Amino acid sequence: MNIKLMLAVMAAKIAAFLSRMFGGKGSSLPGVVARKIYAGTLRDLAGQARQGIIMVTGTNGKTTTNNMIASVILSAGNKIVINQEGANLITGVTTAFIRYANWWGRIDCDYALLEVDEASFPKVLMEVTPQMVVVNNFFRDQLDRYGELDKTVTLVRDALKKLPEVQLILNSDDPLVAQMQQATGHRATFFGLAPQQRTETGSQQTREARFCPHCGEELQYHSYQYSQLGSFICPGCSFQRPEPEVEGFAVETVGARLRARVKYPQGEAQITLHTQGFYNVYNALAAFAVGNLMGIKEEQIVKGLLTYRPAIGRMETFSYQGKPAILNLVKNPTGYNEGLNSLLSIPGSKTVFMAVNDNDADGRDISWLWDVDFEHLASADHETDLFVCSGLRAEEMALRLKYAGIPREKITVIRELEAAIKTALEGPGQLTYLFSTYTALWPAQKILLALAEKEDTHAEGMSSVS
Amino acid sequence: MLKVCHLYPDLLNLYGDRGNIIAFMQRCRWRGIPVELLEVNVGEPVNFADIDFLFLGGGSDREQNLMAEDLLLRKDSLQQAIEEGLVVLAICGGFQMLGQYYLTHDGQKIPGLGILDVYTKAGDKRLIGNIVIEVEINGEPVKVAGFENHSGQTYIGNLQPLGKVIAGFGNNGQDQLEGVRYKNVFCSYLHGPLLPKNSKLTDLLIQLALRRRGLDTSLPRLNDDLEEAAVGVIVERLSK
Repeated sequence: MNIKLMLAVMAAKIAAFLSRMFGGKGSSLPGVVARKIYAGTLRDLAGQARQGIIMVTGTNGKTTTNNMIASVILSAGNKIVINQEGANLITGVTTAFIRYANWWGRIDCDYALLEVDEASFPKVLMEVTPQMVVVNNFFRDQLDRYGELDKTVTLVRDALKKLPEVQLILNSDDPLVAQMQQATGHRATFFGLAPQQRTETGSQQTREARFCPHCGEELQYHSYQYSQLGSFICPGCSFQRPEPEVEGFAVETVGARLRARVKYPQGEAQITLHTQGFYNVYNALAAFAVGNLMGIKEEQIVKGLLTYRPAIGRMETFSYQGKPAILNLVKNPTGYNEGLNSLLSIPGSKTVFMAVNDNDADGRDISWLWDVDFEHLASADHETDLFVCSGLRAEEMALRLKYAGIPREKITVIRELEAAIKTALEGPGQLTYLFSTYTALWPAQKILLALAEKEDTHAEGMSSVS
Repeated sequence: MLKVCHLYPDLLNLYGDRGNIIAFMQRCRWRGIPVELLEVNVGEPVNFADIDFLFLGGGSDREQNLMAEDLLLRKDSLQQAIEEGLVVLAICGGFQMLGQYYLTHDGQKIPGLGILDVYTKAGDKRLIGNIVIEVEINGEPVKVAGFENHSGQTYIGNLQPLGKVIAGFGNNGQDQLEGVRYKNVFCSYLHGPLLPKNSKLTDLLIQLALRRRGLDTSLPRLNDDLEEAAVGVIVERLSK
């Protein structure tokens, strides 16, 4: 028995209790406390996962992918530890284990599923050794915190190189991700989408990677999915989109659901997801690949994905006086562009709410709003009737819309969140679509829960992820 | 017809740079001034004498090196156009590039275009955060707000700064100066969307471009309530 670990866990549990009593989420403080008392806390707790540890990193879709993997693994009857969404720095990861540990520092779980922030990834790897690492995509995100995208990619690559052995699960359509196999020499399973699964992608989109990560030549594309994701080939070296073992095709939106066919080495399956947004197909393919690698049966993977319900702010659906309202987290240009595409793919008129905060966790620099293609909204003018801008930088959001060509009379600024959300819910649209940056998300969800009804509940067995 | 040129939009697309192009063009369009955008990438031809407003942004190291290589080939024609009054907005990397050189930590001098007599040296810490400067526009002091994020420290010698730092770091965090003005060239570290919020500065650039062509420079007033509110948020926050 490790006395230090016991003390650390106990102190952390007390800190969590106190933090929650004073209205906090308690998602990082316990980790901070435990690590102060005993630096080996995370290492010792993580070491207790019987079957191993799976990590998800990358820019967009970490939380969704991690929760989808959880659904798949749970449906096969495993016990898991999972970190609370968004709490993906080393302290948040530590807190997750503490939450599942008993007072003596014992954890009863088969797998630990950890979404890890790209910048924290190397640090977490120093203490936790994963069996599998999923890398979704790399986009520019919070440049003021992380510096340039190249740096982020290098951080992840170098950290992976240091691992003696690991199974990678990589997005074949993102050259920045696909390079990880060659660059690290680890074995990899690729997931991706068959070319040309969508037609509405804007040509103006920000492309993050133009050059071959191996030799520096400009990459050529046969087709794009979105941003730099697509069917690429380097004219300078042999690098090209790897043939994915798990490949999605025939993607379609059916009501509020997404459906796709999946080809994988042992056969072909049909998956249905209770969520929208094209990018979520990638997240599901990653989860499918993980399930398949673990030897989970197709039916159970499909069932797991079907029971997945979006986490807070991932196309979370509410109903206000019979009218749907969708809450969507946005934090970078590609994510926002995809959100706008989802909005426009739903028929009918919409009232749009957009909250922009610039706290540390949002990124203090909100210049990225100018890289989002709000011009699409202006050209689909008849689809929207009112824009309610809110949050600490509501004025900048409103300004961006004005310069995108949205008529001034359709834009209103209401800094205070509750009044703004109320105005948006009562707006003339047949649907209310709410975008929010990170730190406005929980307050916005709380207000929505008070004013409207939540349409779907969390998947069974996921209740511990509060 | 005003011709706007975005140099290297393919390479230099960090930090919402294109907000500056959007703002310049929209404020022309809203006043019925015909305006056209030319996007010029590495190796593509451009005649600077033909351009009315040139925008040069910043990029990550790799992109900036590719840009520098191409831009050095165009130095003479750019310099001539600038001497003849071409209106230029250069931000961050673009600003540094117009200067004499960039001195790296290990004492290496990376040459710039040398069009402006300024130089930059690598700093130890990143100068980062919201910033407010005071810029003189048509004889009036105007508060200009933005976000800066640079580790290079630039010294502008006897040249005229773009503005005085009210809150934030500016060119080097020491002399309270921000950016530089030379003829119709405006350089600044206020990256990304400098022009959208700061509409008086944008209008000044439009007027200078019109004047260079001998056109009417009287600009009908626009409703700038959102612009003023967006600057107001930062000014108020930084004055606390």
